[in-house]
Amino acid sequence: MLKVKDLQKKFGNLRALDGVSIEVEADSVVGLIGPNGSGKSTLFNVVSGFYEKDGGEVYFKGERIDGLTPDAIAKKGLCRTFQIAKAPERLTVLENMLLAAEGQVAENPISALFARRRIARVERKNLEKAMDLLEILKLTELMNEYAGDLSGGQKKLLSLGRVFMRNPDMILLDEPTAGVNPTLTTQLIKVIRELQKKEHKSVLIIEHSMKVISSICDKVFVLNYGQVIAEGTPEEIQKNDKVLEAYLGGV
Amino acid sequence: MTIVNFLIYFLIMVGIYALLAMSLNLQVGYAGLINFGQVVFFCIGAYTSSLLATKTGLPLLFCFLLAMIVSGFFGYVMSIPTKSLKSDYWAIATLAAAEVFRLVALNEGWLTGGPFGVMSIPQPLRFLFSMENYPLFYLFLVTLCVIIVFFALALITDSPFGRDLKAIREEEDLCLSLGKNTRKLKLEAMVVGGMVGGLAGALFAHYVTFISPENFWPIETFLLWAMIIVGGRGNHAGAILGAALIQIFNVSTRFIGEYVSLGSDSMASLRMVIIGFLIIIFVSYRPEGIIKEKKKVYDPRNIR
Repeated sequence: MLKVKDLQKKFGNLRALDGVSIEVEADSVVGLIGPNGSGKSTLFNVVSGFYEKDGGEVYFKGERIDGLTPDAIAKKGLCRTFQIAKAPERLTVLENMLLAAEGQVAENPISALFARRRIARVERKNLEKAMDLLEILKLTELMNEYAGDLSGGQKKLLSLGRVFMRNPDMILLDEPTAGVNPTLTTQLIKVIRELQKKEHKSVLIIEHSMKVISSICDKVFVLNYGQVIAEGTPEEIQKNDKVLEAYLGGV
Repeated sequence: MTIVNFLIYFLIMVGIYALLAMSLNLQVGYAGLINFGQVVFFCIGAYTSSLLATKTGLPLLFCFLLAMIVSGFFGYVMSIPTKSLKSDYWAIATLAAAEVFRLVALNEGWLTGGPFGVMSIPQPLRFLFSMENYPLFYLFLVTLCVIIVFFALALITDSPFGRDLKAIREEEDLCLSLGKNTRKLKLEAMVVGGMVGGLAGALFAHYVTFISPENFWPIETFLLWAMIIVGGRGNHAGAILGAALIQIFNVSTRFIGEYVSLGSDSMASLRMVIIGFLIIIFVSYRPEGIIKEKKKVYDPRNIR
């Protein structure tokens, strides 16, 4: 599904990504872990087109996507969330969900003027879907609140909701459970898994919680200093000496 | 000038400025495009329509339409640098663009008449009305335009397109991550804004029948900003209210001038100082303006 080959990214003299190669197969959940500053988010930013790469290749569904703009990559069905959840402040929770919906009509002034019937029809369908998702994410009560008034954790949930509305083939999740309470985290893991089982989406997920990683990931990549230092199943990773050293190094 | 005539003149100017303020509000209040060169659309609309009318004798309806098209095209041109410039630098570019156009109008005398401007601009359907009644007809025409533009913009902003614009205003990266072509959306907002601004320019030119570069100083843009800051952004009624209030203020100070012994120059400067204070007060104490952007509330019972 997603294939990253020898990806390079430098910030000044810092090699944030130093020849990273990873592969995410279709219909799988892959974890990406590593200490702070190891290059996980940078990898997301380069793959999703927000940063320009300094070398290497990125393939999505067999097609080369490095060098494309972020919106073009998203249109191909590769969607991401952000580590610090973004939420347009003066759009309500429900509007946020509708904003993300796939297959919208009238995203230009001409159809906004003349395709009112079609807009109403599609919006209605999207509203129903949004309400279902908000139910799962426990945000129904907040549907008419401005997203800017939500807590950090709720914004995280909303960003997941938006990605599900968008319904891409592959999702890049940047710390989806950071700041979300434990009960809801368990719930979220369930949602992500169900969605993956039912709709056969691929997921690449950055996460610090080993609990989350071991409960949903089929495979894990470990990054350190911009390089992949280990890969394998969650069990294998937890036993890997290099990984333990990277996380506990100096102790 | 009798009171009635003056009132008609005043309302026509409110209407023209309301169009300009609504057009600026679409860019600033919805799409978050900090446009400091809004007067350029006014200028292009006014010159396009009046030059076409005086030099080619084209029917005025076409002059108006072409003014809108040319001005909308310039909206497109102005949106091109949004790709590579951050919003604050783009704002400076818009200011410069407006000045460039005014200076071209001032210096390319063979086309624009230079500092003498364009004179004896024909008025639409002038032959149907007497001298006294014509302003009333023009007021009707301007009001009609304001109503049509108001409802058209309301439809445009109350749509997925409007929602996209608001999202760009607040989180452009998020829009990109959701697959929205934000450049195209901004471009469309600028073109629509340009067309409405061009219409206002044409209405102005054919009303006053004489335009010159003097009408298009950057200060006009800042008056428009004052209007949307006072009236409220992110809703079209706020723009109209702001246009009316600022115009009332402008006019009332003119009357005060008769009782206060200040020269007209000092009075004009004082007016700007007061508007400046007004902007500061609103930005500090009521940043959303008099009419607040309305939250779109859905009733859960209506969804299922």
